[in-house]
Amino acid sequence: MDSKQIEQLLEKYWNCETSLEQERMLREYFRGQVPENLNEVAGLFRYFESQQQKEIAGSDFDAQVKQQIRQQRPKGKVINLAFALRIAAGLVVVLVATYFVRLEVRKSYSSEVADTYSDPQLALEETKKALMMLSKGFNKAQKEAGKLKVFNEAEQKIKGTVVDSEATTEGQI
Amino acid sequence: MLEDFENRVLPTKNKLFRFAFRLLGSSEEAKDVVQEVLIKVWNGRENLTAIQNIEAWCMRITKNLALDRLRSRQRRATNPIEEGAEIKNETLTPHERAEIHEHMQRITEMIAALPEKQRQVIHLRDVEGYSYNEICEILELDMNQVKVNLFRARNTVREKFVKINAYGL
Repeated sequence: MDSKQIEQLLEKYWNCETSLEQERMLREYFRGQVPENLNEVAGLFRYFESQQQKEIAGSDFDAQVKQQIRQQRPKGKVINLAFALRIAAGLVVVLVATYFVRLEVRKSYSSEVADTYSDPQLALEETKKALMMLSKGFNKAQKEAGKLKVFNEAEQKIKGTVVDSEATTEGQI
Repeated sequence: MLEDFENRVLPTKNKLFRFAFRLLGSSEEAKDVVQEVLIKVWNGRENLTAIQNIEAWCMRITKNLALDRLRSRQRRATNPIEEGAEIKNETLTPHERAEIHEHMQRITEMIAALPEKQRQVIHLRDVEGYSYNEICEILELDMNQVKVNLFRARNTVREKFVKINAYGL
């Protein structure tokens, strides 16, 4: 390739009109000796080429990656573990809360439910007393209720007179 | 499955590494990214059969992970460049070799100073020799954006050369 062709190709290169094949040709050309005025450009293409030769450091890189891959657990299981932990934490919170609430509830009921007498005899006496009080109350109420009979009697009497008067009027007709 | 991975995914490692290095400017970090990419691809191996161009797919993941890293560290990839490219030419005199080294250093810095997208595109095209379609796939850009970025990148380099020739800088 003569230098005129190269100049033309280079112009196309700067304008992004070269194909990959043409760019490979340029690279090939600039590997060799070039005219003074193309030194800079030659440096650019040599730079590109040298960059492509760069390799990842460490001959054991593949082995390292494979090692890491082997250590990888299936993704689902990792998520499940975190998920399970979250649920467990939630359960713990609920259980602890329930325990404390129960404690509080028991405390507030305990004064009413707890035994007040240790001697059964004494307890019996007290119970009897309480029952007597109740029965007295009932008796009193019954006596008062007896007064309602007065109303009944009055009602009967009124009914009686009404019936009598009806009978007399019928007789008249 | 592992065999498939070894034959189709693992051999891309050097390309992935170079691309990550181009973005991050650190070979240590680039290596980490490549490992991350390979493990990610392995974990998603069930879907691998649906992917037509595995290499482009790996390159795309590399780009994303490297950019994530770059963003999270909030720094530009213009770290001191680790190594200039070495020309394997025994016929050169020490003086010539030093000159070439300096030259390479200059080009390295030129490329590193390009905006991120332009740097990605020029790397994929001029270093790795990918087709425009593959570059679109890797960078998730449309054809027009790829060409515009490549044009700007090459043009910047060209203008620098013109300046160097004019002023001998």
